[in-house]
Amino acid sequence: MKVLALLTDGYGGFGGISQYNRDFCRALANKYEVHILPRSVDTHTGKLPQNVFQYKPFAHKILYFIRALFFVVFRKNDYLYIFCGHLYMAPLAAILAKMFNYRLWLQVHGIEAWKKPSALIRWSVEQSDLITSVSRYTRKELLRWANIDPNRVKVIPNTLREQFCYQKKLTTVISNDIFSGKQILLTVSRLNAAERYKGHDLVINSLPNLLSKFPKLHYVIIGDGDDKERLQTLVTNLDLNKSVHFLGKLDDQSVVALFHQASLYVMPSTGEGFGIVFVESMACGLPALGGNRDGSVDALQDGYLGNITNFSDLEVRIEQLLRTPVDREKLANQTKQLFGFDKFSQLVLGVAA
Amino acid sequence: MCGVVAFYNYHYAAPAVNMTQMRKVRDYMHARGPDAAGEWMSHDQRVAFGHRRLSIIDLSERANQPLVSQDKRFVVSFNGEIYNYKQLKKELQTAGKIFTTDSDTEVILQLYAEKGVAMLNDLRGMFAFSIWDALKQELLIARDAFGVKPLYYANDGWSIRVASQVKALKQCEDISNEQDAAGMIGFWLLGSVPEPYTRYVDIRAVPAGSYLRINCNGVVEEKPYFSMATVYHEALKSQLQYSKEEAQITIREALLDSVRHHLVADVPVGAFLSSGIDSASLIGLMRDAGQSEISTVTLAFSEYKHKPDDEAPLAQTIARFYGVQHHTRYIDKKEFMNDLPEIMQAMDQPSIDGINSWYVSKAAKELGLKVAISGLGGDEFFGGYPSFRKIPKWNRWLKLPSSLPLMGEIVRHMMPDSLLSSFHLNSKSKGMIKYGGDRAGAYLLMRSLFLPWELKRFLKADFVEDGLRRLRILKYIDEVNRPDAGTGFARISTFETSLYMRNQLLRDTDWASMAHSLEVRVPFVDRNLFAVTSSVLPKLKSVNSKYLIANSPTQVLGDEIINRPKTGFTTPIGEWIENDDHLQMWKQKSDLKKSNCHWSRKWAYDLYTGLV
Repeated sequence: MKVLALLTDGYGGFGGISQYNRDFCRALANKYEVHILPRSVDTHTGKLPQNVFQYKPFAHKILYFIRALFFVVFRKNDYLYIFCGHLYMAPLAAILAKMFNYRLWLQVHGIEAWKKPSALIRWSVEQSDLITSVSRYTRKELLRWANIDPNRVKVIPNTLREQFCYQKKLTTVISNDIFSGKQILLTVSRLNAAERYKGHDLVINSLPNLLSKFPKLHYVIIGDGDDKERLQTLVTNLDLNKSVHFLGKLDDQSVVALFHQASLYVMPSTGEGFGIVFVESMACGLPALGGNRDGSVDALQDGYLGNITNFSDLEVRIEQLLRTPVDREKLANQTKQLFGFDKFSQLVLGVAA
Repeated sequence: MCGVVAFYNYHYAAPAVNMTQMRKVRDYMHARGPDAAGEWMSHDQRVAFGHRRLSIIDLSERANQPLVSQDKRFVVSFNGEIYNYKQLKKELQTAGKIFTTDSDTEVILQLYAEKGVAMLNDLRGMFAFSIWDALKQELLIARDAFGVKPLYYANDGWSIRVASQVKALKQCEDISNEQDAAGMIGFWLLGSVPEPYTRYVDIRAVPAGSYLRINCNGVVEEKPYFSMATVYHEALKSQLQYSKEEAQITIREALLDSVRHHLVADVPVGAFLSSGIDSASLIGLMRDAGQSEISTVTLAFSEYKHKPDDEAPLAQTIARFYGVQHHTRYIDKKEFMNDLPEIMQAMDQPSIDGINSWYVSKAAKELGLKVAISGLGGDEFFGGYPSFRKIPKWNRWLKLPSSLPLMGEIVRHMMPDSLLSSFHLNSKSKGMIKYGGDRAGAYLLMRSLFLPWELKRFLKADFVEDGLRRLRILKYIDEVNRPDAGTGFARISTFETSLYMRNQLLRDTDWASMAHSLEVRVPFVDRNLFAVTSSVLPKLKSVNSKYLIANSPTQVLGDEIINRPKTGFTTPIGEWIENDDHLQMWKQKSDLKKSNCHWSRKWAYDLYTGLV
């Protein structure tokens, strides 16, 4: 059996959605032949898994549609599903599915599905035979505007990449004075003005009080973007330049190292579709704290694996967690077991069946 | 009768079941099962069942639930009664199965082990249950064919939580208060929340005659195993024709058989008695079935004493005729106003009805009854409502004007309110042309509380639009008649049983009786009886089906009862509500203050504003 995947980007793409698409296709390829039609490819695709075939990208919307149409007509493949990897491509996928009587499987990730979209996209979503969402929160937000049987909307969380794992002896160490004998709060995210929901401001604002209790506390912010300057100004205004550090965008290896060296991952966000970074930090043994207003609660397993908080209690929770010893290896193992690829893969295949 | 709870955290990312929450849900339903409480949890802590028991069959502790099969593979939490359980048990025993209890619950377990979901078609009775299969790691939740017993669930994408009541599930803190637009618009249109919607977005009803299978991938199957329309549709294919006499004999046998089965119990079975044919005939048939001791109860109103609307004298005549122990319970406004908070608490979902059921159940409980027979369903299956005559007539007369584009809208807009008042018509009359020409539209007119265009006067416009878009009321009504039941009688019967009886009467009967720990049994709502009526009644011409009921007992009632014109059950409740000092919210709305406004609209408005 075959699945036609209409993706914004797949192999060779960059970012969380393309990573999800790759994980998804890899899982699906255990049982199905997967044909990928991407809209864009940022880098070299590398070697594709067995049973996965990726075709030439077409960025232009109309050309992409014509291409997909021709692909379906001339290949004469009997697809089990048309898988649509992004809400904005749902109309195209729905039309193709209707034209050729294929089952439609739509994937939703996060914020794109939280607001009522155009009537056309809504119609397309309602044609889906199956919708998968990365979190319960995104599922619930989608059901707020989509008139579809809720039982057809399932949750398949993001899965962990293997490089995020606990190392008893670190292969890479970030050398910086702030990491020796200090307590570190860490946040890893883009710093975009359009994504101020990540909650850096909340953490920065809680620092003065926390510093009075933990004088050796530092807050390390990883990531870059057009909001960095504003945050730096905020830090300066609060006279926190010595305690807050902007390290810019780092590669995965360096982030893994920081996860090992930090004391607490904190990101009181309100806009996470899922929040894979929480899982990545915990997989490296670093306890994580997030908010309770978005998909973060799934990544933090309702507070069983990670920690969730009301924003009004943020300071108290940080303090509490900084004082609580953690078995990092145990946390890492539990996280890997829970969000590892094996379970993800089984669920993808189970839902597809 | 009982309360069922099942929690299944099916998703791999979900933590263990929260037992404190499960117990909270279970014990909210204390009144459904005051005799015992039980719980069970799987070894991996991902599945938990709870149960509150009202003991009716096999009163011993060994029949307490959740019940685990001897090989530990299956667990069940069950609410209801299986009336043919003795016969099913015998068949299973013949096949070598060994039973450890005398309960119908164990029969369900063994039958499921034997036949899987196919067993649902073997069960005669009212039921809602959850079964866990430890080997397949699969949960089954199912509900009886007609929806006598309720079952609700909340599926959040990680877990499914199941209970007999919406309000019980609401004990889980994470189930939000957000109103379901489709469910609430359904309430405004029809007076009850139409399933599968409920009052809350997070909770849905298992549809009557359906089951759901849930495994680690979530809900993997949601399927109806029974449909009224299909039974009528199939019955039409049969070449069998019945003369009036043959029809009478066949119906009598089927009715008697149903009543006999509905008497199965290890506690006394009483009956509700009104002055109508249905409940009276059931008393006669109970006698024919060999029941010697029968306690009956009639609800009456002090305001109606010695007036034509008082049902009590006629009910007493019937009771004397059949020689039963009869009790008349009078209520007055004072008692009603005192009980109103309790009634509102018991009302599981908003409904404009159910108060009578609450009181007659209260009266039965006062008599010490645990089980009572009710005549519910007679009108729906035997064509007792005016809708059986009016809807086909409206369809014939209004088909042409309705088919003219925009005609319905023009008439609705042009018809002045003064015209309605002059002819003592209610505001629904404005929709005659728009809706009267087709079946679903005419049914909506017949049963509606408000019509769609009226709702924006009371509710926010976007909520109304969202609800109407989701519910698609005409499609909703039309779909219960798929495949086409085939005849005028069968279509209306399908509408009435699948909509009004299911969403209003049966649901109200459940919460109202359960509030008093009373099990109400409905012999007219029976699969075997329906198998007969569906093949006999649609083919009968010029026979009033209600006479078939009336003539079924050996001791046939006198003409003064049988030929009494159908009056409907009148109550002063509307007047009490209209004149009460506390229920006054409706007075803020000019539309509801009009003289031709029915009290049920005012009641609905106060109910809704109280809820939100």
